[in-house]
Amino acid sequence: MNNVKYISMVNITKTFGKVIANKNINLSVNKGEIHALLGENGAGKSTLMNMLSGIYIPDSGSIFIEGEEVKFSSPKDSIQAGIGMIHQHFKLVEVLTAQENIILGQKTGFFLNKKAIREKIEEVQRKFQLEVDLDKKVYEMSVGEKQNLEILKVLFRGAKILILDEPTAVLTPQETAKLFIIMRKMKEEGCAVIFISHKMNEVMEISDKITVLRKGETVKTVDKEKTNPQELTELMVGYPVDLSIKRLEKQGRKAVLRVRNLRVENEEGIEVLKGLNFDLRAGEILSIAGIAGSGQKELCEAIAGLYPVKSGEILFKGENLVGKNPKEIIAKGVSMSFIPEDRLGMGLVAAMDIVDNILLKQYQKQKGFLVNRKPATSKAKEIIKKLDIQTPGIYHPIRDLSGGNIQKVLLGRELDTNPELLITAYPVRGLDINTCHKIYDLLNEEKAKGVAILYIAEDLDSLIGLSDRIMVLSNGEITGIVEARKATKEQIGLMMLGEKINETEGAYVV
Amino acid sequence: MKKTISLIFVLLLVMAILVTGCSKPEPKQEVPKEEPKEGAKTPEKKVKVGFIYVGPIGDGGWTYAHNEGRKYIEEKLGVETIFKESVPENQESEKVLNDMIDQGANVIFTTSFGFMDYTEKVAKQHPDVIFLHCSGYKKLDNMSNYFGRMYEPRYLSGIVAGLKTKSDTIGYVAAYEIPEVIRGINAFTLGVRSVNPDAVVKVKWTHTWYDPAKEKEAAKALLAEGADVIAQHQDTPGPQQAAEEKGVWSIGYNTDMKEMAPKAYMTAPIWNWGPYYEKQVKAVMDGTWKSESYWGSMKDGVVELAPLTDVAPPEAKEAVEKAKADIIAGKQKIFVGPLKDQTGAVKVADGVVMTDEELLSMDWFVEGVEGKIK
Amino acid sequence: MLYKFVKRSEITQRKSIEIRTVAILLALLVSALFILILDLNPLEVYLAMIKGAFGSSYRIKQTIINTIPLVITSLGIAIAFKMKFWNIGAEGQIMMGAFAASFFALRFPELPPFLLLPLMMVAGIIGGGLWAVIPAFFKAQWETNETIVTLMMNYIALKWVTYLQYGPWRDQKALGFPKIPNFSENAILPNVFGVHIGWIFALVLIVLTYIFMNHSKLGFEIAVLGESDNTARYAGINIKKTIVIALLISGGLSGLTGVIQASAVSNTLNVEISGGIGYTAIITTWLGSLSAPLILLVSILFAALIQGGSFIQTAFGIPEAAALILEGMILFFVLGSEFFVKYKLVKNVVYQPVAGKEEV
Repeated sequence: MNNVKYISMVNITKTFGKVIANKNINLSVNKGEIHALLGENGAGKSTLMNMLSGIYIPDSGSIFIEGEEVKFSSPKDSIQAGIGMIHQHFKLVEVLTAQENIILGQKTGFFLNKKAIREKIEEVQRKFQLEVDLDKKVYEMSVGEKQNLEILKVLFRGAKILILDEPTAVLTPQETAKLFIIMRKMKEEGCAVIFISHKMNEVMEISDKITVLRKGETVKTVDKEKTNPQELTELMVGYPVDLSIKRLEKQGRKAVLRVRNLRVENEEGIEVLKGLNFDLRAGEILSIAGIAGSGQKELCEAIAGLYPVKSGEILFKGENLVGKNPKEIIAKGVSMSFIPEDRLGMGLVAAMDIVDNILLKQYQKQKGFLVNRKPATSKAKEIIKKLDIQTPGIYHPIRDLSGGNIQKVLLGRELDTNPELLITAYPVRGLDINTCHKIYDLLNEEKAKGVAILYIAEDLDSLIGLSDRIMVLSNGEITGIVEARKATKEQIGLMMLGEKINETEGAYVV
Repeated sequence: MKKTISLIFVLLLVMAILVTGCSKPEPKQEVPKEEPKEGAKTPEKKVKVGFIYVGPIGDGGWTYAHNEGRKYIEEKLGVETIFKESVPENQESEKVLNDMIDQGANVIFTTSFGFMDYTEKVAKQHPDVIFLHCSGYKKLDNMSNYFGRMYEPRYLSGIVAGLKTKSDTIGYVAAYEIPEVIRGINAFTLGVRSVNPDAVVKVKWTHTWYDPAKEKEAAKALLAEGADVIAQHQDTPGPQQAAEEKGVWSIGYNTDMKEMAPKAYMTAPIWNWGPYYEKQVKAVMDGTWKSESYWGSMKDGVVELAPLTDVAPPEAKEAVEKAKADIIAGKQKIFVGPLKDQTGAVKVADGVVMTDEELLSMDWFVEGVEGKIK
Repeated sequence: MLYKFVKRSEITQRKSIEIRTVAILLALLVSALFILILDLNPLEVYLAMIKGAFGSSYRIKQTIINTIPLVITSLGIAIAFKMKFWNIGAEGQIMMGAFAASFFALRFPELPPFLLLPLMMVAGIIGGGLWAVIPAFFKAQWETNETIVTLMMNYIALKWVTYLQYGPWRDQKALGFPKIPNFSENAILPNVFGVHIGWIFALVLIVLTYIFMNHSKLGFEIAVLGESDNTARYAGINIKKTIVIALLISGGLSGLTGVIQASAVSNTLNVEISGGIGYTAIITTWLGSLSAPLILLVSILFAALIQGGSFIQTAFGIPEAAALILEGMILFFVLGSEFFVKYKLVKNVVYQPVAGKEEV
């Protein structure tokens, strides 16, 4: 049974304007197989999967399901063929319950037989060990729960082929472990799972076969058993790379940023930062770990003057930033960049080209009524070269660039402002390993210059590897600040869930 | 951005193709109207007559009547005419005048009061073009004003209404508080009271010449206030229909409105521009035209009362005929003292006949009118 | 459903030109049928439309006079639209600009033109600008829906001018005819080469707006804000201030249109002073892709369509309604083609396994 080619995509080509996103790609997935799709940003993974799920139509090439050629003209067709895709952005109705979301859009009679449907849903849940509270409203759910609901939804609709587009990017390590259990269960049930990820360790842990894409072409399909992370990375990047994260063992002593009793309320009047106290030194990387929505964003925005502070002090080189406007704070040498889940929207303007996006942080310093694009133009060229940004040109809207390249533009610009305090949230979100390392290198370069860096990320491995200290936020509170050299993932994972750690040896709370 | 460039390019291209594509057979395809229909009579000046209308021809009223006049001269004189409907009484009318001159018109009738200032302005710029403005008072060497003593047939229609009303309340839907309208209301009221001294005429202003719905609404309001005959100084049959629907009676205006309200319509003071237009255009063609202020009467045939229908009271015919004969013969003046205003004060002393100047600037209501000016 | 619309992921230059060409040909074709029903020769009518718009120096001047208010208003709308502030209120802003200018024109008719005209223009720009600032302030402060607020304010402006025309400003010498007195000669903008000076304003404003939108700091901030509130916030842009200033400029340009129309075209204020320019300009702005030079081109074509449409009414004795239908149909197809540039019609294949072709 395992030898039946369940899905096969043959010689798939797709172009967007002049950009060739996929070129003669071949991919075969068997029943009961977890197939990882690995590649750098912009390698064409998402494009390929969007064709399998009917969102795009290939320019040429064929798709076969169980040996029969299919042509999808919309996602509906693909769903009918048993394909379910879990996107990075969940497509759920927030105000409805889990069950209502599942039923939504289903062809039913006029009267819903709720009981029968519920039984059917529960059967699917049992089969795949999917823990979802069917009566819970979506807006009350954590990211992990939402993802489970998405999976349940597509399985309920009869999906036999599941595509997961970077599912672990938004999960805690514990949630990731649970997801893997579900994926294994699906494998046992004879489903095919296509798993897009950048995280080498996850790929090695869960998948059976791995197809590596590079620059829109298939490089190789390998068995997990017969490969190793080093080889995969080389296949992905095209040349040998060093995978270890370097920590620059150098630290200043001067505290650049002191945060005292910082309290922040959201619009509903709920306290989202509950009295934070910490220091950040020059030449230090202080990381913040925490489940999404623990107050990271509010902290960044409060420092940058974008979020109203209820009480407390934010002292930058001894001067209180509370009450200053963002323009003044930027002028003082504070750079804050936040990569949201859609990668755009904060900090960059998708419809504008690289030059204008760089100009965004320059023009306010220029004198007069008009803007001067010359410095931004030369800076754009410089950043493209330095960070190896793949783009048709500096006057190309950045919307058309791949996520990794977009982030490089953002980071390149922020570093260019020569900040003394660099706040960077999720700079490697969704980036491939090679680009991640480039960004780590950039951060280390800044650190060497004596810049104080507040680094927010999801991937605990990189947090531990890169930073000097790790501050864990849970529900708006600091549950502990630990020395990165001695921290373990398990320990941090527990703190993320709210367990306060007494000062462990070597870790110091300020 | 490129999208739109290409769009415009294509538009231009298509136009260009059309132009060049059509250029060859052009002599044949030339707009036929530019040739006079009968090019024979050589000594006469070749004229092209323009008409500017305030409403659409299909209004069945004011503009319709002018357009009948236009058709009349086309038929009688064989001249070429052009027209434009629904021209607003603002700067747009100046543009339309210039457009018509550009298209070769050398005699232009502007058929609404609001066109006066613009007609005057354009007339000063084009001394070689002859303008005839209807219902105004401005005059230049190349600009006449002309109008009809509509108050005469209105007086007659008042007789019909006064004889018909049972509630002694007559509704009058009126456009604007200008002398022309006020004069008409007064004449009508005098007609009513000549046969029915107790009757009152209630007035509602619409502030529009042409708005069927609004006019109808005003008539309905008057009906609700007890009126059982509706008269109007409006350009659409809207008020007629209101009367028809209510099952009461009506007096039309401008043209014979019998078809629009067969069960309500009794008669209407109407315009008959054809003969006057013919005379004027003929004079231009002969080179004898001179500017004037013309105020045509029933005697001249410019205004008249439409034939009474079967709905009209039987005794009306005789009363109307007699009054008409007296007016035409000059035996009866309509605005002759004693005339009292709404307060009952004597405004015109016994035996005094109001002058044309007084009539043309009349801004008060006679006794028997219920309504306010401004 | 056998067919359905699918959003195009990408469109080539050639394809979009093809679509638009077909749209225009279709417009001409369908309109031709309509003209045939009117018992006229379509080719003659089309030719007459072009001749009517460009056929003589007088007609070209008229087309220019029609173009001027469209261009200036469109430039104003473009600035607001660039910020994704949907200013539907140009109509009212024109009215209020005309009103403010008329106030000075009527109050100080004896002032020499070199004083009175600048005064009127400044008043008009401020009048239109403030009228646009009201919805901008509401939007900035309370996130009200600017589309609805600006639209509703059009009616307030219209009724305000109506009130003036029928009430306090009514011309006492007009024998009861509801009009506002004509401006004195001093309050009328001069002609330059046979067309009122507005054409020079329009050309200068096109250049200025182009520079403003593409090379000024404020223009840059407006563009950023239009793309993303958050990005603007992160870049330290004062969002509220930017919205208010942008709308002051946007409404100010419409206000200037009002001044020009009142002073140069109608020589007075009246309720028809705008005559729908505020709405037509939305279309020209959109078709001009918010770009100043393109707005000029589109506005000329629009003005030509209106002028040509007016010409054929008198030339062929076509009823006004029919001429408007013709204009409407041409517009419908041109605007409709924009939809097909973004979407395409595909056959609705409901998951059809294609038989044969066994996969290897």
